[in-house]
Amino acid sequence: MLKRKFTPSHVKVLDSPPMLILCIVLAVGLYIGCFAGLISNKAMRYLVQIFLYITMGEMWNLLSGYAGMTSLGQQLYIGLAGYSVAMATSPLFGLPLFGALLLGAGISVVVSLFMSLILFRLEGMYFSIATLVAAEAFCMLFFAWKFVGQGAGMTIRINPYPTLQEICILSMTICVVALALVYGLLRTRVGLGLTAMRDDITSAASVGVNIFSHKLLVYVIAAFFTALAGGIFFVNKGMIYPDSGFGISWTISMVFIAIIGGTGTVSGPIIGAIIYVFLNEKLADYPGWSNIILGTITILVILFLPNGIMGTLQKKLHFEIFSSKRFSFKLKKAAKEK
Amino acid sequence: MGNIVEFRHIDAGYGRIQILSDLSFEVEEGQVYGVIGPNGSGKSTMFNALLGIIRPTAGAIYFDNIDITRTPPHIRCRMGIGRTFQIPRPFEHMSVYENVLIAAVHGTGQSEKKAGYAAIDALKLTGLYEKRELLSGELPLLDRKRLEVARAIGTQPKLLLLDEVAAGLTDAEVKDMMKLVKGLKDSGYSIIWIEHIIQTMLGSTDRLMCMAQGSSVIEGEPQEVINSKTVQTLYLGVDDNE
Ligand SMILES: Nc1ncnc2c1ncn2[C@@H]1O[C@H](COP(=O)(O)OP(=O)(O)O)[C@@H](O)[C@H]1O
Ligand SMILES: [Mg+2]
Repeated sequence: MLKRKFTPSHVKVLDSPPMLILCIVLAVGLYIGCFAGLISNKAMRYLVQIFLYITMGEMWNLLSGYAGMTSLGQQLYIGLAGYSVAMATSPLFGLPLFGALLLGAGISVVVSLFMSLILFRLEGMYFSIATLVAAEAFCMLFFAWKFVGQGAGMTIRINPYPTLQEICILSMTICVVALALVYGLLRTRVGLGLTAMRDDITSAASVGVNIFSHKLLVYVIAAFFTALAGGIFFVNKGMIYPDSGFGISWTISMVFIAIIGGTGTVSGPIIGAIIYVFLNEKLADYPGWSNIILGTITILVILFLPNGIMGTLQKKLHFEIFSSKRFSFKLKKAAKEK
Repeated sequence: MGNIVEFRHIDAGYGRIQILSDLSFEVEEGQVYGVIGPNGSGKSTMFNALLGIIRPTAGAIYFDNIDITRTPPHIRCRMGIGRTFQIPRPFEHMSVYENVLIAAVHGTGQSEKKAGYAAIDALKLTGLYEKRELLSGELPLLDRKRLEVARAIGTQPKLLLLDEVAAGLTDAEVKDMMKLVKGLKDSGYSIIWIEHIIQTMLGSTDRLMCMAQGSSVIEGEPQEVINSKTVQTLYLGVDDNE
């Protein structure tokens, strides 16, 4: 009995200095690469997608994987941000890119606060469906709205238009900030509460976790970052129309990324996003089939790797990247030092 | 001493299904208050109502002489109600230590470091200290039940709600659990203890209530209650086998 004092999964944690240093080196390397123009345009195009999808996947994971809010309508904030950027930077208003992105994210935060009044009365399936309906409703609204070009959409005309290099640096920054924020959040007391909610929401409430405030915080953070990522996505694309902004395929990609990578882990969506971007590139040759194939893969992963790639690897190989685990022996050391 | 809990004519249930009907009882501070009753008589549902997992449709609940009928669960927890679940519901992907740490952080509002030491104390008290770094999802039943108690204690409650913490355990394990509860009582907790096994309750409680079909059928001294006709009829044929 004493032999199993500690399960190995609790011993090796790769969030310790070497892992963090590696991440920082990687990030700094990519930054320098981008600034110095060492990265080819093709690679940068991939990188932009990966950074943006990591951000969105990480946010969806925070919502669904941790706080138990399986939203099928995060595209609401992507669409809102995309249109905000398109409108605010048009010659009529002439806002710079930064201002427009922040405006889009700000509008999304306001809308998310308003939405939470309605959505947080609902649970489970009803919550999910309501989020989807809300996104669809906005889609209709923009379809009918003359100023934004109705079904034909808008071309984004920022002056001067940011280069691919600038877009890449911007998306990378947002991705890094989002990751740092999620990781940092999980290491606070709020993170303890969120991890508890991930495992059992009723138990969490019973030991004093304020479910409502945790949900609200996560929902607003997710709206903010999803909107930033969405805004940049459309800057990169150059145009937006209702279906591309508010379409359900956004949800499909976020679900795919989080589930393939592993929900309830920080590292999961990173792997998920990388796989998604490359797979999506390959699937571009088979239009119409891509969602079916992504859906099939998602179902297979749910059936055979319920913890996703990172979740399964972590379990099998006994390690954890970006871990939010707390150790009692850290406490003991602190006590001895005193 | 005053009453730590009062139920006043509570009706409550799940959705449209009413389970508790006109349930009234009072628990004095410092007591171990036993609750028995056949399966499905609404004992666990009473705990859900007391913790605020379900909202009563009629009546009022008082805790420490404060009306908590409309108070959300996490605030009730912070006010000093610590519960265990009949079927243990640990945070499965977290260690035993983390389970109790969460309770100590969120149930009291203290800093994570202070809570860490409180968690260690709760683990020592419940005999889980050696297993503190195990994944809670991998624990055997006795330890899961202990973890339920440890987590409840971690929230530093005035009132502990124990839901069949001895059910399904071997005789020796039941004795352990009885000792634990006795110790908790001596250190000043008020306790409401639901148990299906009459023998356990006889030796460990100050007062006893028997529930049937969602309300209290008899309440009083443990020995009297168990010898009463009502309880004898309710438990006839059940008592011998279990
Ligand atoms: N979550 C639930 N939803 C609907 N009915 C429930 C739920 N939990 C318990 N019940 C029903 O409530 C009744 C009382 O259950 P419970 O309070 O668990 O009884 P006890 O703890 O006394 O055995 C039972 O008939 C049970 O089927
Ligand atoms: Mg029960």
